[in-house]
Amino acid sequence: MPKVKKKRLSFVIDMTPLVDITFLLLTFFMFTAKFKTEAESQQKFFIQRPKVTADTSKIPERNLAIVKIAIRDTVDGVVVNDTTYNYELINESDRQQVWASLEGLPEKMKAKPMLENISLDMLSTVIRNTRITNPKTMFAIDADRRIRYKWVWDAMEVMRKNRATIFNYVTEKKSGL
Amino acid sequence: MSGATGGLSAPERIKRGKLSKRKKRKRIGFALDMTPLVDITFLLLTFFMFTTTMAAPQVMEMSIPPEVDVQIEVKENELLTLRLRNDGKLFWNMANDEPKPVEIKDLRKIAETENLRPEIQNKLITVFKVSDDAKYGDMIRVMDELNLAEIKISEVITQKKDDKGNPEKRKRKFTLAPLDTADVSLIRGL
Repeated sequence: MPKVKKKRLSFVIDMTPLVDITFLLLTFFMFTAKFKTEAESQQKFFIQRPKVTADTSKIPERNLAIVKIAIRDTVDGVVVNDTTYNYELINESDRQQVWASLEGLPEKMKAKPMLENISLDMLSTVIRNTRITNPKTMFAIDADRRIRYKWVWDAMEVMRKNRATIFNYVTEKKSGL
Repeated sequence: MSGATGGLSAPERIKRGKLSKRKKRKRIGFALDMTPLVDITFLLLTFFMFTTTMAAPQVMEMSIPPEVDVQIEVKENELLTLRLRNDGKLFWNMANDEPKPVEIKDLRKIAETENLRPEIQNKLITVFKVSDDAKYGDMIRVMDELNLAEIKISEVITQKKDDKGNPEKRKRKFTLAPLDTADVSLIRGL
Protein backbone atom coordinates (compact mmCIF):
# COMPACT_ATOMS: atom_id res chain seq x y z
CA MET A 1 0.00 0.00 0.00
CA PRO A 2 1.52 3.32 -0.94
CA LYS A 3 1.87 5.68 1.89
CA VAL A 4 0.24 8.96 1.39
CA LYS A 5 2.46 11.74 2.50
CA LYS A 6 0.58 14.35 4.24
CA LYS A 7 2.14 17.70 4.66
CA ARG A 8 2.01 18.77 8.25
CA LEU A 9 0.70 22.22 8.60
CA SER A 10 1.15 22.77 12.32
CA PHE A 11 2.33 20.89 15.35
CA VAL A 12 1.66 21.25 19.00
CA ILE A 13 4.22 21.46 21.78
CA ASP A 14 3.06 20.96 25.29
CA MET A 15 4.25 24.06 27.05
CA THR A 16 3.02 23.16 30.52
CA PRO A 17 6.32 21.92 32.01
CA LEU A 18 8.13 24.90 30.56
CA VAL A 19 5.66 27.29 32.11
CA ASP A 20 5.85 25.41 35.41
CA ILE A 21 9.60 25.70 35.64
CA THR A 22 9.58 29.28 34.51
CA PHE A 23 7.10 30.26 37.19
CA LEU A 24 9.09 28.37 39.76
CA LEU A 25 12.25 30.22 38.85
CA LEU A 26 10.39 33.49 38.66
CA THR A 27 8.99 33.16 42.15
CA PHE A 28 12.38 32.08 43.46
CA PHE A 29 14.13 35.10 42.04
CA MET A 30 11.33 37.40 43.09
CA PHE A 31 11.57 36.34 46.70
CA THR A 32 15.33 36.23 46.93
CA ALA A 33 16.00 39.43 45.01
CA LYS A 34 17.62 42.17 46.99
CA PHE A 35 17.77 45.33 45.05
CA LYS A 36 20.86 47.38 44.71
CA THR A 37 20.90 50.73 46.41
CA GLU A 38 20.91 53.83 44.31
CA ALA A 39 24.57 54.42 45.01
CA GLU A 40 25.44 50.88 44.08
CA SER A 41 23.67 51.04 40.77
CA GLN A 42 25.46 54.27 39.90
CA GLN A 43 28.77 53.01 41.14
CA LYS A 44 31.31 52.99 38.37
CA PHE A 45 33.93 50.86 40.05
CA PHE A 46 34.12 47.31 41.25
CA ILE A 47 35.62 46.29 44.56
CA GLN A 48 37.33 42.91 44.77
CA ARG A 49 36.53 42.11 48.36
CA PRO A 50 38.89 40.03 50.46
CA LYS A 51 37.81 36.43 50.70
CA VAL A 52 37.36 34.84 54.09
CA THR A 53 35.79 31.68 55.46
CA ALA A 54 32.04 31.62 55.65
CA ASP A 55 30.54 33.62 58.45
CA THR A 56 26.99 34.20 59.47
CA SER A 57 27.36 37.87 60.19
CA LYS A 58 25.70 39.90 57.50
CA ILE A 59 26.12 43.51 56.71
CA PRO A 60 23.51 45.69 58.50
CA GLU A 61 20.80 47.03 56.26
CA ARG A 62 20.04 50.24 58.11
CA ASN A 63 22.05 52.89 59.94
CA LEU A 64 25.10 52.03 57.95
CA ALA A 65 27.92 54.12 56.59
CA ILE A 66 30.36 52.53 54.19
CA VAL A 67 33.84 53.80 53.49
CA LYS A 68 34.68 52.37 50.12
CA ILE A 69 38.35 52.20 49.29
CA ALA A 70 38.62 51.30 45.67
CA ILE A 71 41.02 51.35 42.81
CA ARG A 72 39.53 53.65 40.23
CA ASP A 73 40.48 54.51 36.71
CA THR A 74 38.35 57.59 36.35
CA VAL A 75 36.37 59.93 38.55
CA ASP A 76 33.81 62.03 36.68
CA GLY A 77 35.63 61.38 33.45
CA VAL A 78 38.99 62.47 34.84
CA VAL A 79 41.63 59.76 34.72
CA VAL A 80 43.00 59.10 38.21
CA ASN A 81 44.28 55.50 38.13
CA ASP A 82 44.66 55.41 41.87
CA THR A 83 43.11 54.28 45.08
CA THR A 84 40.29 56.53 46.20
CA TYR A 85 38.11 57.00 49.23
CA ASN A 86 34.39 56.98 48.60
CA TYR A 87 31.67 57.37 51.17
CA GLU A 88 28.15 56.06 51.17
CA LEU A 89 25.35 56.43 53.70
CA ILE A 90 22.45 54.01 53.58
CA ASN A 91 19.75 56.03 55.34
CA GLU A 92 18.48 58.53 52.82
CA SER A 93 17.36 61.14 55.37
CA ASP A 94 20.72 61.00 57.14
CA ARG A 95 22.48 61.25 53.85
CA GLN A 96 20.67 64.45 52.91
CA GLN A 97 21.40 65.99 56.28
CA VAL A 98 25.05 65.03 56.29
CA TRP A 99 25.66 66.07 52.70
CA ALA A 100 23.96 69.40 53.41
CA SER A 101 26.12 69.94 56.47
CA LEU A 102 29.32 69.74 54.44
CA GLU A 103 30.69 73.11 53.57
CA GLY A 104 32.20 73.63 50.20
CA LEU A 105 30.60 70.59 48.68
CA PRO A 106 29.89 71.31 45.03
CA GLU A 107 26.20 71.55 44.24
CA LYS A 108 26.24 68.66 41.79
CA MET A 109 27.77 66.34 44.39
CA LYS A 110 24.99 67.11 46.87
CA ALA A 111 22.48 65.18 44.82
CA LYS A 112 24.73 62.16 44.47
CA PRO A 113 24.16 59.18 46.73
CA MET A 114 27.89 58.65 47.15
CA LEU A 115 30.76 61.02 47.85
CA GLU A 116 33.47 60.11 45.41
CA ASN A 117 37.21 60.47 45.62
CA ILE A 118 37.29 62.44 48.85
CA SER A 119 40.35 63.43 50.86
CA LEU A 120 41.14 62.11 54.33
CA ASP A 121 40.21 65.47 55.87
CA MET A 122 36.89 65.35 54.10
CA LEU A 123 36.40 61.76 55.26
CA SER A 124 37.02 62.86 58.82
CA THR A 125 34.45 65.64 58.54
CA VAL A 126 31.88 63.36 56.99
CA ILE A 127 32.33 60.70 59.65
CA ARG A 128 32.05 63.30 62.41
CA ASN A 129 28.90 64.79 60.90
CA THR A 130 27.44 61.34 60.40
CA ARG A 131 27.96 60.52 64.05
CA ILE A 132 26.35 63.82 65.08
CA THR A 133 23.37 63.26 62.78
CA ASN A 134 22.77 59.66 63.74
CA PRO A 135 24.81 58.28 66.64
CA LYS A 136 23.51 54.79 65.94
CA THR A 137 25.30 54.61 62.61
CA MET A 138 27.51 51.57 62.14
CA PHE A 139 30.60 51.91 60.04
CA ALA A 140 31.99 49.51 57.52
CA ILE A 141 35.15 49.51 55.47
CA ASP A 142 34.69 48.07 52.04
CA ALA A 143 38.15 47.92 50.55
CA ASP A 144 39.68 46.24 47.58
CA ARG A 145 41.91 43.33 48.53
CA ARG A 146 44.66 44.50 46.17
CA ILE A 147 45.23 47.91 47.69
CA ARG A 148 48.06 48.90 50.00
CA TYR A 149 47.23 48.45 53.65
CA LYS A 150 48.18 52.06 54.37
CA TRP A 151 44.93 53.25 52.83
CA VAL A 152 42.92 51.14 55.25
CA TRP A 153 45.11 52.10 58.19
CA ASP A 154 44.65 55.81 57.46
CA ALA A 155 40.91 55.36 57.24
CA MET A 156 40.91 53.49 60.54
CA GLU A 157 42.93 56.26 62.17
CA VAL A 158 40.38 58.78 60.97
CA MET A 159 37.60 56.66 62.41
CA ARG A 160 39.46 56.26 65.68
CA LYS A 161 39.84 60.03 65.97
CA ASN A 162 36.10 60.39 65.50
CA ARG A 163 35.33 57.77 68.12
CA ALA A 164 33.99 55.29 65.61
CA THR A 165 35.97 52.45 67.10
CA ILE A 166 33.72 49.53 66.26
CA PHE A 167 33.29 48.81 62.62
CA ASN A 168 33.13 46.04 60.08
CA TYR A 169 35.31 44.94 57.23
CA VAL A 170 33.14 43.98 54.31
CA THR A 171 34.27 40.62 53.02
CA GLU A 172 33.16 37.93 50.69
CA LYS A 173 32.70 34.25 51.26
CA LYS A 174 35.57 32.14 50.07
CA SER A 175 34.36 29.77 47.40
CA GLY A 176 34.74 26.11 48.08
CA LEU A 177 34.82 24.58 51.56
CA MET B 1 -5.21 13.50 23.09
CA SER B 2 -6.97 16.03 25.18
CA GLY B 3 -6.91 13.76 28.15
CA ALA B 4 -3.14 13.54 28.23
CA THR B 5 -2.30 17.13 27.66
CA GLY B 6 -4.76 18.79 29.95
CA GLY B 7 -5.89 22.23 29.04
CA LEU B 8 -3.23 22.78 26.50
CA SER B 9 -4.57 20.66 23.73
CA ALA B 10 -4.88 21.79 20.18
CA PRO B 11 -8.13 23.34 19.13
CA GLU B 12 -10.62 20.71 18.28
CA ARG B 13 -10.83 20.42 14.62
CA ILE B 14 -14.25 21.29 13.44
CA LYS B 15 -15.27 18.81 10.89
CA ARG B 16 -17.43 20.09 8.18
CA GLY B 17 -20.09 17.83 6.93
CA LYS B 18 -22.63 15.83 8.75
CA LEU B 19 -21.35 16.66 12.20
CA SER B 20 -21.64 20.39 11.77
CA LYS B 21 -25.32 20.03 11.57
CA ARG B 22 -25.44 19.07 15.23
CA LYS B 23 -26.65 21.91 17.27
CA LYS B 24 -24.91 21.30 20.57
CA ARG B 25 -21.64 19.56 20.99
CA LYS B 26 -20.04 18.96 24.32
CA ARG B 27 -16.65 20.57 24.53
CA ILE B 28 -13.98 18.24 25.73
CA GLY B 29 -10.96 20.52 25.87
CA PHE B 30 -10.37 24.12 25.26
CA ALA B 31 -7.37 25.97 23.99
CA LEU B 32 -5.77 28.84 25.76
CA ASP B 33 -3.10 30.78 24.00
CA MET B 34 -0.33 30.82 26.54
CA THR B 35 2.18 32.74 24.46
CA PRO B 36 1.69 36.19 26.04
CA LEU B 37 1.78 34.66 29.48
CA VAL B 38 5.02 32.89 28.78
CA ASP B 39 6.43 36.04 27.20
CA ILE B 40 5.75 38.14 30.25
CA THR B 41 6.94 35.44 32.61
CA PHE B 42 10.23 35.12 30.79
CA LEU B 43 10.61 38.85 30.75
CA LEU B 44 10.13 39.06 34.50
CA LEU B 45 12.36 36.06 35.04
CA THR B 46 15.24 37.57 33.13
CA PHE B 47 14.70 40.89 34.89
CA PHE B 48 14.95 39.35 38.33
CA MET B 49 17.82 37.12 37.31
CA PHE B 50 19.87 40.07 36.17
CA THR B 51 19.08 42.49 38.96
CA THR B 52 19.48 40.15 41.88
CA THR B 53 22.78 40.01 43.70
CA MET B 54 23.36 36.47 44.80
CA ALA B 55 26.49 36.54 46.93
CA ALA B 56 25.53 38.86 49.74
CA PRO B 57 28.63 40.37 51.30
CA GLN B 58 29.42 39.38 54.84
CA VAL B 59 31.33 41.31 57.44
CA MET B 60 34.19 40.83 59.83
CA GLU B 61 33.79 42.82 62.99
CA MET B 62 36.68 44.83 64.28
CA SER B 63 37.06 47.09 67.22
CA ILE B 64 39.98 49.37 67.78
CA PRO B 65 40.75 51.09 71.07
CA PRO B 66 40.01 54.81 71.20
CA GLU B 67 42.96 57.13 71.32
CA VAL B 68 44.82 56.67 74.59
CA ASP B 69 48.24 57.91 75.49
CA VAL B 70 48.52 55.79 78.59
CA GLN B 71 51.19 53.18 78.27
CA ILE B 72 50.02 49.77 79.30
CA GLU B 73 52.53 47.47 80.94
CA VAL B 74 52.59 44.11 79.30
CA LYS B 75 54.48 41.04 80.39
CA GLU B 76 56.82 40.10 77.62
CA ASN B 77 56.16 36.40 77.80
CA GLU B 78 52.47 37.02 77.26
CA LEU B 79 52.99 38.66 73.93
CA LEU B 80 52.59 37.06 70.53
CA THR B 81 53.81 39.28 67.76
CA LEU B 82 52.85 38.82 64.14
CA ARG B 83 54.50 40.86 61.46
CA LEU B 84 53.28 41.11 57.90
CA ARG B 85 55.95 42.32 55.51
CA ASN B 86 55.34 44.33 52.35
CA ASP B 87 55.88 41.26 50.14
CA GLY B 88 53.09 39.40 51.95
CA LYS B 89 55.38 37.23 54.10
CA LEU B 90 54.27 36.65 57.66
CA PHE B 91 56.57 36.31 60.67
CA TRP B 92 55.71 35.35 64.20
CA ASN B 93 57.47 35.29 67.54
CA MET B 94 56.74 34.94 71.20
CA ALA B 95 58.12 37.51 73.61
CA ASN B 96 61.62 38.44 72.44
CA ASP B 97 62.32 35.40 70.31
CA GLU B 98 63.64 35.66 66.81
CA PRO B 99 60.83 36.17 64.30
CA LYS B 100 60.16 33.02 62.31
CA PRO B 101 58.51 32.96 58.89
CA VAL B 102 55.19 31.16 58.61
CA GLU B 103 52.72 30.58 55.82
CA ILE B 104 49.46 32.40 56.44
CA LYS B 105 47.49 29.16 56.16
CA ASP B 106 49.60 27.56 58.92
CA LEU B 107 49.05 30.40 61.34
CA ARG B 108 45.99 28.83 62.89
CA LYS B 109 47.98 26.02 64.52
CA ILE B 110 50.50 28.43 65.99
CA ALA B 111 47.80 30.69 67.37
CA GLU B 112 46.07 27.70 68.93
CA THR B 113 49.15 26.21 70.58
CA GLU B 114 50.47 29.53 71.86
CA ASN B 115 47.09 30.61 73.21
CA LEU B 116 46.52 27.30 74.94
CA ARG B 117 49.78 27.04 76.81
CA PRO B 118 48.70 26.41 80.40
CA GLU B 119 50.74 29.18 82.01
CA ILE B 120 49.53 31.97 79.75
CA GLN B 121 46.09 30.73 78.84
CA ASN B 122 43.61 33.54 78.28
CA LYS B 123 46.29 36.10 79.02
CA LEU B 124 48.10 36.12 75.72
CA ILE B 125 48.03 39.35 73.81
CA THR B 126 48.31 39.18 70.05
CA VAL B 127 49.93 42.12 68.34
CA PHE B 128 49.57 42.25 64.61
CA LYS B 129 51.92 44.61 62.87
CA VAL B 130 51.23 45.26 59.24
CA SER B 131 53.51 47.00 56.79
CA ASP B 132 52.03 50.01 55.01
CA ASP B 133 52.82 48.39 51.69
CA ALA B 134 51.32 45.00 52.45
CA LYS B 135 48.19 44.07 50.64
CA TYR B 136 44.93 44.58 52.50
CA GLY B 137 43.76 41.18 51.30
CA ASP B 138 46.71 39.46 53.02
CA MET B 139 46.00 41.29 56.24
CA ILE B 140 42.40 40.07 56.16
CA ARG B 141 43.59 36.51 55.50
CA VAL B 142 45.70 36.64 58.65
CA MET B 143 42.76 37.98 60.64
CA ASP B 144 40.61 35.21 59.23
CA GLU B 145 43.06 32.55 60.40
CA LEU B 146 43.14 34.12 63.87
CA ASN B 147 39.35 34.07 63.94
CA LEU B 148 39.38 30.40 62.98
CA ALA B 149 41.86 29.61 65.74
CA GLU B 150 39.47 31.28 68.16
CA ILE B 151 36.99 28.43 67.81
CA LYS B 152 39.28 25.88 69.43
CA ILE B 153 40.75 28.34 71.92
CA SER B 154 37.42 29.42 73.31
CA GLU B 155 36.20 25.84 73.38
CA VAL B 156 39.06 24.79 75.64
CA ILE B 157 38.93 27.87 77.83
CA THR B 158 35.19 27.86 78.43
CA GLN B 159 35.42 24.29 79.69
CA LYS B 160 37.48 25.42 82.64
CA LYS B 161 35.84 26.71 85.78
CA ASP B 162 36.83 29.77 87.74
CA ASP B 163 36.91 30.02 91.58
CA LYS B 164 33.16 30.37 91.84
CA GLY B 165 32.51 27.43 89.59
CA ASN B 166 31.32 29.47 86.62
CA PRO B 167 32.73 28.68 83.24
CA GLU B 168 35.60 30.91 82.33
CA LYS B 169 35.08 33.51 79.67
CA ARG B 170 37.44 33.89 76.77
CA LYS B 171 39.05 37.29 76.84
CA ARG B 172 40.50 38.01 73.51
CA LYS B 173 43.27 40.55 73.45
CA PHE B 174 44.26 41.70 70.05
CA THR B 175 45.76 44.85 68.70
CA LEU B 176 46.75 46.23 65.36
CA ALA B 177 49.87 48.31 65.00
CA PRO B 178 51.93 49.72 62.17
CA LEU B 179 55.22 48.08 61.29
CA ASP B 180 57.92 50.51 62.38
CA THR B 181 61.51 50.70 61.21
CA ALA B 182 62.79 48.57 64.09
CA ASP B 183 60.45 45.80 63.03
CA VAL B 184 61.44 46.13 59.41
CA SER B 185 65.13 45.71 60.22
CA LEU B 186 64.32 42.77 62.48
CA ILE B 187 62.75 40.78 59.67
CA ARG B 188 64.99 41.98 56.89
CA GLY B 189 66.55 39.22 54.86
CA LEU B 190 64.54 36.46 56.50
